[in-house]
Amino acid sequence: MSSYLLSRILQAIMTLIVMSVLVFVGLYMIGNPVDVLLSPSATPAERLEIIQAFGLDRPVWEQYFLFVSKALTGDLGNSFVFNQPALDLILQRMPATLELAFAALLMALVIGIPLGIRAGLRPDGLVSKSIMTFSILGFSLPTFWIGLIMILIFSVQLGWLPASGRGDTVDIFGVPVSFLTLNGWSHLILPAFNLALFKISLVIRLTRAGVMEVMQLDFVRFARAKGLTEHRILRVHVLKNTLIPLITVIGLELGSLIAFAVVTETIFAWPGMGKLIIDAIAVLDRPVILAYLMITVIMFSLINLLVDILYSVVDPRVRLEGASR
Amino acid sequence: MSNPILSISGLTTSFRTGGQWRDVIRDISFDIGPRETVAVVGESGSGKSVTAMSVMRLLGGNARSSGRIGFDGHDLLSLPVEEMQKIRGNRIGMIFQEPMTSLNPVLKIGDQITEVLMQHRGLDHATATTEAVRLLDKVRIPSARARLGEYPMNFSGGMRQRVVIAIALACEPKLLIADEPTTALDVTIQAQILELIKTLQQEEGMSVLFITHDMGVVAEISDRTVVMYRGDIVETDTTRQIFRKASHPYTRALLSAVPQLGSMAGQPRPLRFPVVDMKTGEIAPVPPTADTVRHDIAPVLKVEHLITRFPVRKGILRRIAGRVHAVEDISFDLHAGETLSLVGESGCGKSTTGRSLIRLEKMTSGRVQIDGKEVAKANQGSLAEIRREAQMIFQDPFESLNPRMRVGQAIAEPMIAHGLASSSEAISRAGTLLEQVGLSAAMADRFPHEFSGGQRQRVCIARALALDPKLIVADESVSALDVSIKAQVINLMLDLQERLGLGYLFISHDMAVVERISHRVAVMYLGEIVEIGPRQSVFENPQHDYTRRLMAAVPIADPARRQTRRIVDSEIKSPFRAADYQPPKRRYREVSPGHFVQLAME
Repeated sequence: MSSYLLSRILQAIMTLIVMSVLVFVGLYMIGNPVDVLLSPSATPAERLEIIQAFGLDRPVWEQYFLFVSKALTGDLGNSFVFNQPALDLILQRMPATLELAFAALLMALVIGIPLGIRAGLRPDGLVSKSIMTFSILGFSLPTFWIGLIMILIFSVQLGWLPASGRGDTVDIFGVPVSFLTLNGWSHLILPAFNLALFKISLVIRLTRAGVMEVMQLDFVRFARAKGLTEHRILRVHVLKNTLIPLITVIGLELGSLIAFAVVTETIFAWPGMGKLIIDAIAVLDRPVILAYLMITVIMFSLINLLVDILYSVVDPRVRLEGASR
Repeated sequence: MSNPILSISGLTTSFRTGGQWRDVIRDISFDIGPRETVAVVGESGSGKSVTAMSVMRLLGGNARSSGRIGFDGHDLLSLPVEEMQKIRGNRIGMIFQEPMTSLNPVLKIGDQITEVLMQHRGLDHATATTEAVRLLDKVRIPSARARLGEYPMNFSGGMRQRVVIAIALACEPKLLIADEPTTALDVTIQAQILELIKTLQQEEGMSVLFITHDMGVVAEISDRTVVMYRGDIVETDTTRQIFRKASHPYTRALLSAVPQLGSMAGQPRPLRFPVVDMKTGEIAPVPPTADTVRHDIAPVLKVEHLITRFPVRKGILRRIAGRVHAVEDISFDLHAGETLSLVGESGCGKSTTGRSLIRLEKMTSGRVQIDGKEVAKANQGSLAEIRREAQMIFQDPFESLNPRMRVGQAIAEPMIAHGLASSSEAISRAGTLLEQVGLSAAMADRFPHEFSGGQRQRVCIARALALDPKLIVADESVSALDVSIKAQVINLMLDLQERLGLGYLFISHDMAVVERISHRVAVMYLGEIVEIGPRQSVFENPQHDYTRRLMAAVPIADPARRQTRRIVDSEIKSPFRAADYQPPKRRYREVSPGHFVQLAME
């Protein structure tokens, strides 16, 4: 187990190094942030001063090693635009994004799994076919369009829910959260559902395929021959085997929910990390982009680790070892 | 019979395919008396398993049954589902063929036993656990209490089948239905499980419905036998009578196709199977086999001190934690026109040996010469040449043919690939080859799915012959085939050997088939050859403990010779060893000319 953890941490560090090099080289090639940031009327002297202040006059490898040595002390640099530590900027926005992502994940599971089981048990029934049609819509309609339509219906026409922003927050351990207030919920529900829609469809399809596959297996037939009730067969024998492949996918999807909630955050003006990163990319604010990607990589690695551990808990056949064969 | 436990009358079961109902079994009627064992025997497609599943009503929505299945005063076919659930696993226990998949992999063994006890006998968890321990003791699983918390993956196939039997017997059923319960098991394990079922039947006083394709198992276990053929019962009688004087031609054909261990006594050469006319039941005389072995020329295959080991790596640095000693220091020769069988149970290294010979598996050390050419040192070009001389036929004819390629092309492909023929020559030669293996040249245009299993294996043989090989490595090539088909394919292999002077390395777990087909036999155990010699000598005078154990475990297809055997409850050991393991140097003793047996280590 400990050698397993160690190898996972090594993997994560390797990913961080590769990613940071790519971002450095990539941004260096795209353009000079000074051109974007500085007003055209600036004098060459002012320009030179700014370039020196950002350290952009040095060769790119030197800039990189400066960044790494600072990063090792926990300093990811100041934003070119806000002149604040990039890490702080991101951490301020993080709770909002996490809240949105987890709310969406919860919806995906609570709605997706029961519907998937229903569709998997009687795959030829009318109900199953309706569920599957719904899931195709969830897959194929673009997120931003559905978001706009939902705003149109629930906010503009019916006036039930607010169209944008985050609601009232309450601090828990210093972290502002909105899911404890009624107003917070009313703001959360639309964007969370919008973000969840694709995942609901995914969970439905995976669960359905899993149930259909497991129902065919020998041990289910043997469970019937044991005289168990269909309810027990489903709850004990089928469900656990279905959940195993689901865990991996959901883990990965949670990562993508957090990292790429950009579209939903933009439509619903949700004050999360996604909005920040879009703005940062527009002005080539390298420290913010780097800090954001660093955090994303670490988060993905953590989630993957959690998934693997969870997997070994659910499936006794999986033993966590150094590296996979 | 006064009071049958189970009374099936007029049972017809149909399956729906594409909106059409098609009968799979028709008008099946037989009874099972108290404490009686009835075997239902037949080849694939005979409907024997469907019969068993119909009794339990486990066939699902695409099947319907009519007729009457009387059990304990009820007609099982008209019972409501809830009532049927009270009978399944409670009054009728059932076990299936695949012990590896009958148990839920993610549920502890203990839970899978107790759930039945809690469901049917209303026990609480603590009492059910105590009872589960008693049941595991009963099926002879050592240290039962400790093993309750383990998962199925920690049990071997034989042990899993024991757990499955414990579950089926948990509620002391009146009737046990066993659907091919030993087919997937090794022969020594099969003997243990059959013995266990027999003992438990006496202890519990239950009746057994035994489904099998194996006439040897039938002779071993059943009091009465029902023979099925394509959905109909063709014959029902006492087992003794069936084996002594079967009345139906099909039964006779089936019996004559069954290889019987010991039937080759006094025969030095291989022998074809008798061919039975399916209509009249007449048995054609078996033509004598010619002496095909060419001792006068150098052997076509020469193996010296072959070792193949697989490292098992662990940790971040991928250190070698141990090795699987799949093949450990084996040596043998094979002459043209000779059949040498490698026989042994799963994990003994017989398949790895076959694969190492033509470098489908990398050998660790040793020397292999095929037709005088060194296999280990061959470069890409000479390896291709060697593989032309040595062809391989695999177990599964379904998986070894490309489903999207016409069989003519499949046979022509190696000739074109090796540059031996232009594509039009190759195609016409494919037709000739098909005729050589008993099919017609016109079949070259068909796809693999249009052939039956036996025909497909013939196609595989034709493909192997396409390159005019001198040596054919047949890895379990007839194991998946039905008995009558198996007999035909073996006859074909013997014909081809006579005509083409092929050398066969025949890899098999089936002692009876091996006895029929081989000139010489090598018995493998844990990667080593423990005994090798002329077939007659090895079978009539086995010297090594393991050879004897293997032969004693083979069921004899003759109820008159049913013996009470002492079965040793031993597991098959694993050839996994620590990284620093040094295999001992083995020494052999010559029993008779060419017959060597490994000496036990002091």
